[in-house]
Amino acid sequence: MHINYWTELKRSKFGRTGLAMISILVFLALAAPLIAPYDPWAYVGTPLAPPSGEHLLGLNDIGQDIFSELLYGSRTTLMISSGVAIFSTLISLAFGLAAALWGGLVERVILRLIDIMLIIPVFLIAILVASFFQPGVTTLIILLTCLFWPPGARIIRAQALSIKQKQHLTAASSFGAGKGYLVYRHLLPDLYPIVTVNFIQVIRRAVFMEAGLAFLGVFDPVQKSWGLMLHYASEFIFTGAWKWWLVPTGFMISYTIIAFVLIGYALESALDPRLRRQVYVGH
Amino acid sequence: MRKRYLDYILAIIIILSLNFFLPRLMPGDPLTAIYGDALLEMSPQLEAQLVERYGLDKSMGEQFIVYLGNLLRGDLGYSYYFNAPVTEVLLEALPWTLLLVGVSLVLSTIIGILIGIESGWRHGSRLDSLLLISIMFLNGIPSFFLGILFLIFFSFEWQLFPLSGAVTPFSDYTGLALFWDIARHMFLPVLTLTLMQVPRNYMLMRNSIISVIREPYILTAQGKGLKEGIIRYRHAARGALLPVITRLGMSIGLMFTGVLFIEIVFAYPGTGHLFYQALQNMDFPVVQGSLFFITVFVLLANFLTDLFIIKIEPRLREDAYQLLDRT
Repeated sequence: MHINYWTELKRSKFGRTGLAMISILVFLALAAPLIAPYDPWAYVGTPLAPPSGEHLLGLNDIGQDIFSELLYGSRTTLMISSGVAIFSTLISLAFGLAAALWGGLVERVILRLIDIMLIIPVFLIAILVASFFQPGVTTLIILLTCLFWPPGARIIRAQALSIKQKQHLTAASSFGAGKGYLVYRHLLPDLYPIVTVNFIQVIRRAVFMEAGLAFLGVFDPVQKSWGLMLHYASEFIFTGAWKWWLVPTGFMISYTIIAFVLIGYALESALDPRLRRQVYVGH
Repeated sequence: MRKRYLDYILAIIIILSLNFFLPRLMPGDPLTAIYGDALLEMSPQLEAQLVERYGLDKSMGEQFIVYLGNLLRGDLGYSYYFNAPVTEVLLEALPWTLLLVGVSLVLSTIIGILIGIESGWRHGSRLDSLLLISIMFLNGIPSFFLGILFLIFFSFEWQLFPLSGAVTPFSDYTGLALFWDIARHMFLPVLTLTLMQVPRNYMLMRNSIISVIREPYILTAQGKGLKEGIIRYRHAARGALLPVITRLGMSIGLMFTGVLFIEIVFAYPGTGHLFYQALQNMDFPVVQGSLFFITVFVLLANFLTDLFIIKIEPRLREDAYQLLDRT
């Protein structure tokens, strides 16, 4: 399975759109301090002031500039989602490969753990834990990583098992290649596509999850987060403020998730047809 | 299958332990963690009664046994905000949640399957791309945002539907009038929950149809000169239905999580809304109790699906675990 991922992604209309959308977002997040007209934590005017020349999207209920808040919110979202994706992919790889290569008791224990984690409703557990801890960025990354690694580990194990059967691996190990060499030289390159798909799925779920938890109010209230903005904005829907406060915030969350949905779909379509049928929708 | 029972038992144990240890791991004593500021208003006798009831003066091991014992008797603790046993509060809210989930499950499954058939059958056509793109966009909008938009436009701006609740308060409708009142209140929540769930069923059905079209039995049906509609629905759709059916349990699980947000947005008096009220008032026995309740429902749904899958399609035994994907 040697697919040139980058080419496949750029060839697909969905892939191109998604990539463009994410590039814009990453740019906004990186340049936030330069673009943002105000400090999003500072009180800069009358609370709930409507949009004006000075404040593009008006002010929130405690007099902070909503446009600047939105820009800084993209940083929180991207930091948490990419953090979760990186760490949970690493754990998935470690557990998936350990199960596939060692077999025996190690494999049985890991598989059992994965099976159990898969029947537990992850979101509910996240809400439960978060409602006690009011997590900040780091805690949330740890919490979501703990909950998100199992599906990836299962797929990686299955894939690694089938790659292990291939002749070039048998050849390599009969020439005396050790486990470490096999993983680094043969398994990882072949696992790359499936890991990428999983990575994108985890990012998408993490964006949704962060927004959802913050919307429920179980997130560190000091952070600038789109979910939290939605949480506060939803208390003021009976004023006109939803037009410039709630809608742009919800739009940014949807924009980000849709971008990852598009990239994910493009990558999955590029993968082998058997996996293609497992296309996975739903948060 | 015996292994599978063990998975469920272990899952329940993990969830119970989380419920038990979380408040006890918090800094300070568990009573403060569970009851928070409410503790300040309690009389010393009441506090002593609570310590007695949960065995808080005993060792962790004994406390866990007391906890399990209470749970078996259906005692999830006492809510100081609602001033009633948690179980009682929960049972009052549960029917509304079941109503929303039930109706949306039926609707989203039917709609998802129908448009999935149309889209997959015309794979690559303009209709297919249009449906696919709109479904992907729909899939990207978080349910709580979609719900708030519906609430703002349909209820607030155009005043077509009520703003909150499940029935008009202080009304004494009966019969048809009551039915109409309940239907009006649940319209928007059900719409949101259904739209949230359609993409999943649509994708499953579309992909399944695309792979079935190439099967020889479809060619046979065409060769026999059957009408296109009959091939599409009686032959292709029926053959492609399995993935949707086998994932119904997972859909139910996802819906019990999704309904939480939707009840909060529409202030619909089910378990999710109850959870939110409790969260805002720091009523942790109800927070824990309601999440525990929903979790048990999800596990039950998953378990029944597992049993069902093995009954109708032993081949899927392995796949069924592999394809689990839920949040």
